[in-house]
Amino acid sequence: MAPKYKLTYFNARGRAELTRLMFVAAGVEYEDVRLEREEWRPLKETSPMGQLPMLEVDGQVMCQSGAIFRYAAKETGLSGSAGWEEAQVDMFVCGIEDLQTKLWEVRFERDEAKKEEKKTGLATFVPNWLANYEKLCGPDGHLVGAKLTYADLAFFNGMHDILKERADTLEKFPKLAKVVESVNENKAVAAYIAERPETFI
Amino acid sequence: MPTYKLTCFNVRGRAELIRLLFAAGEIPYEDVRIEWDKWPELKPISDTPMGQIPTLEVDGQVICQSMAIARFVAGKAGLLGKTNMDQARADMLLDGGMDVGKLFTEMVMEKDASKKAEKKKEFGEKHLPPFLALYEGFAGDNGHFVGDSLTWSDIGFFNMMDFITAEYPGALDGYCKLNKVIDNVKSNPGVAKWLKERPVTNH
Repeated sequence: MAPKYKLTYFNARGRAELTRLMFVAAGVEYEDVRLEREEWRPLKETSPMGQLPMLEVDGQVMCQSGAIFRYAAKETGLSGSAGWEEAQVDMFVCGIEDLQTKLWEVRFERDEAKKEEKKTGLATFVPNWLANYEKLCGPDGHLVGAKLTYADLAFFNGMHDILKERADTLEKFPKLAKVVESVNENKAVAAYIAERPETFI
Repeated sequence: MPTYKLTCFNVRGRAELIRLLFAAGEIPYEDVRIEWDKWPELKPISDTPMGQIPTLEVDGQVICQSMAIARFVAGKAGLLGKTNMDQARADMLLDGGMDVGKLFTEMVMEKDASKKAEKKKEFGEKHLPPFLALYEGFAGDNGHFVGDSLTWSDIGFFNMMDFITAEYPGALDGYCKLNKVIDNVKSNPGVAKWLKERPVTNH
């Protein structure tokens, strides 16, 4: 009997989108619960660490987005071959989290002067980061190995806002562009992206 | 038998969890330590996928990102947890610990003395007690966070508290189950040996 997965988060991509993309890409059914802030407040006290996202699996509840997406990766068969390949996939995703953190720091910065300073920092950080990932990226439209892993989905997800701002960002990075293409070629992911709510983050 | 080479600065820092995992798993490895002032000249010629250390080299292949390395070594040492769900729980508890660890590190690294004193008070009064109370609830009566045997979440907790109790000595007083976790980790033969032999560093 297949486990029942229930993912709870705000109505945002944020820290839940990678997990959603995995379930979708692998064709694994899950309940995608999106809460408004007022709905979250009463639930917060009974949650494991007072934070979202949460994943409930057959009645057991966990939190911490990284733990959730790494678990989902194993359940959906998207973590890469056990051992070294899995570690490489993990490494790529950690690096993408580093990028994501920097991007969010800018988006959420309220002080205008600090925001401009951080934006300037990003203008150097992002191209260097992409150049490095291009060097490390596999040639077949996958960051690691010969088939889709959650590293590809994490990269695709991490690039979303950047590509929205500048569609030509990956022009100089053909291997990375190929990764985004392979994710778009997954019909279930493409359908999900077309239908998902437009959110700030 | 693969050969493992861990490269990091000569500190506990982001590598100590990895070193503790090698120790608990009784896995031999080369513990390469680089002095801060040597890094600028070594960086361009070092084999670092993302220009950062720590890195782990296994039979000539290299990965970086301290937590990816830690998860890999924990796997080799059989310390991730038995089922996918157990592994997820261990992972969750470690990540939760790191949220608090991050605040602690910010306090320790604060250069302005009066800001540091303020942060130290705030961490000790506002962040640490609820974290410990929460984790006392997560810990089993057997002194393990997951199941009935040692996992890397026990070791990660021990490592973090090793840093924290240096600044807040009585922090764990009264937390029976958390103290049991600490004792279980310290009495692991590989860990006990490493704790006796490891270089003493400020961080």
